[in-house]
Amino acid sequence: MSAAAQFSAILRKDLTRELRTREVLVSVFLFVMLSLVIFHYAFASEGSDLTFFTGGMLWVTFLFGALLGLNRSFAQEKDEGCLDGLLLCPVDRVTIFLAKTAANLVLLLAIQVVAVPVFTLFFVERSYLGDLPLLVAVVLLADLGICALGTLLATISMNSRARDLLLPVLFLPLIVPVLIAATSATTAIFAAGAGLGELAGRLIFLAAFDAVFLVAAYGTYDFAIGE
Amino acid sequence: MEASEARIASAADGAAGRRRLLEAPALFAYAGAALVAGLLLAFWYSPVDASSMGFSQKILYYHAPIAWAALVAFGVAFVAGILYLRSSDLRYDRLGLVGVRLGLLFSLLVMGTGMIWGQAAWGTWWAWEPRLTTFLIACLLYAGYFVLRSMVDEEARRATYAAVFAVIAFVDVPITFFATRFLPEGLHPVVIRPGDTGMEGSMLLSLLVSMLGMTLLLAALVRLEYAAELLKDEIADLKTALWEVGQ
Repeated sequence: MSAAAQFSAILRKDLTRELRTREVLVSVFLFVMLSLVIFHYAFASEGSDLTFFTGGMLWVTFLFGALLGLNRSFAQEKDEGCLDGLLLCPVDRVTIFLAKTAANLVLLLAIQVVAVPVFTLFFVERSYLGDLPLLVAVVLLADLGICALGTLLATISMNSRARDLLLPVLFLPLIVPVLIAATSATTAIFAAGAGLGELAGRLIFLAAFDAVFLVAAYGTYDFAIGE
Repeated sequence: MEASEARIASAADGAAGRRRLLEAPALFAYAGAALVAGLLLAFWYSPVDASSMGFSQKILYYHAPIAWAALVAFGVAFVAGILYLRSSDLRYDRLGLVGVRLGLLFSLLVMGTGMIWGQAAWGTWWAWEPRLTTFLIACLLYAGYFVLRSMVDEEARRATYAAVFAVIAFVDVPITFFATRFLPEGLHPVVIRPGDTGMEGSMLLSLLVSMLGMTLLLAALVRLEYAAELLKDEIADLKTALWEVGQ
């Protein structure tokens, strides 16, 4: 089996499993929706303008939602003993990492495809259709960073005593740069319709972050997932 | 049984060697001398800063060296992490632990001195200034290192995860600094950027002497703590050996 075939087999397995139970999709989506309602009551008062907070609200929601999903992505593998089976297969550890990252990315994107329009309906007053490709680029690049780093850390925390406590403690401080870049870029798109020229720096930064942590994960994943 | 007795007998030699390390005060003396010299230079040789910061700028001569020492300590943990992953030698794990512990301590001092400076120079205890913010995030990040260690029971696994995390964290710190510095949050510009003024030669000398002193202090502390960690391991080993002999 080539690495590409192994990659797609693991990815397909994860997605099939998720589509059968819909555990993560449904609960994370509900979590995201509930967060938006909570944000409305936490921040909005009569006639207040939330435009400058939209990027922050969106990405805080996605970060915490992603955390929930990331925690689950290895929990079942571990609890049901599937991971041992996976590790016994003659598969490169890095292939496992890439497939797991891709599965998390697909799930996060599936939630965002619905959540972003709803968010726009709730909080964004300006029409940003012309800047949609830019928003998609920001979301894709930020998601890749979140999923790559998150998958690596979820692998580490899965073998600890209180994994659902450990993951946020490790993940959130490391992901701050992505949050800063994604938040400011998204707010700029929602608020003023920033052009590519204005956002190029942030997009490059996000791409660089993704590249750095994909390489870091490539170098350390063998150790993270264990024997 | 014999193996345990042999261990107990040989332990005395190794422990004596490490105890000498614990008692070696020379490095501390050099560090202290350089730090005192830096302090004297800062107050009597370097001029009072010409900008609005004035006298309060003197804290720079401690603040910046502490920040430098914190980064060096995290760097030690980074290198120790890589060495551990390559060799699985638990001594590198102890070195990494010591590096992170001291780095965290120095980072807290950076924030403390930074806040004092902020209060004196800008009239506020806390400003979301890139360097200060980076150290705050670094503190939270490396505090997670200890949470990670406490939540993994198996020795080799804990050491591996700690090493991986120390490597990733050290990669993340400069990225965080870049993000806080060059990607202003929202649309609010970063207003306050202290220390951007060019530095006179006489100020630089005081700073370099303090920096040398702080680096020596860090080296002395790393050596001391590292020796203490190894002794702790030795005691744990000996307890096991004694228990086996007693059986």
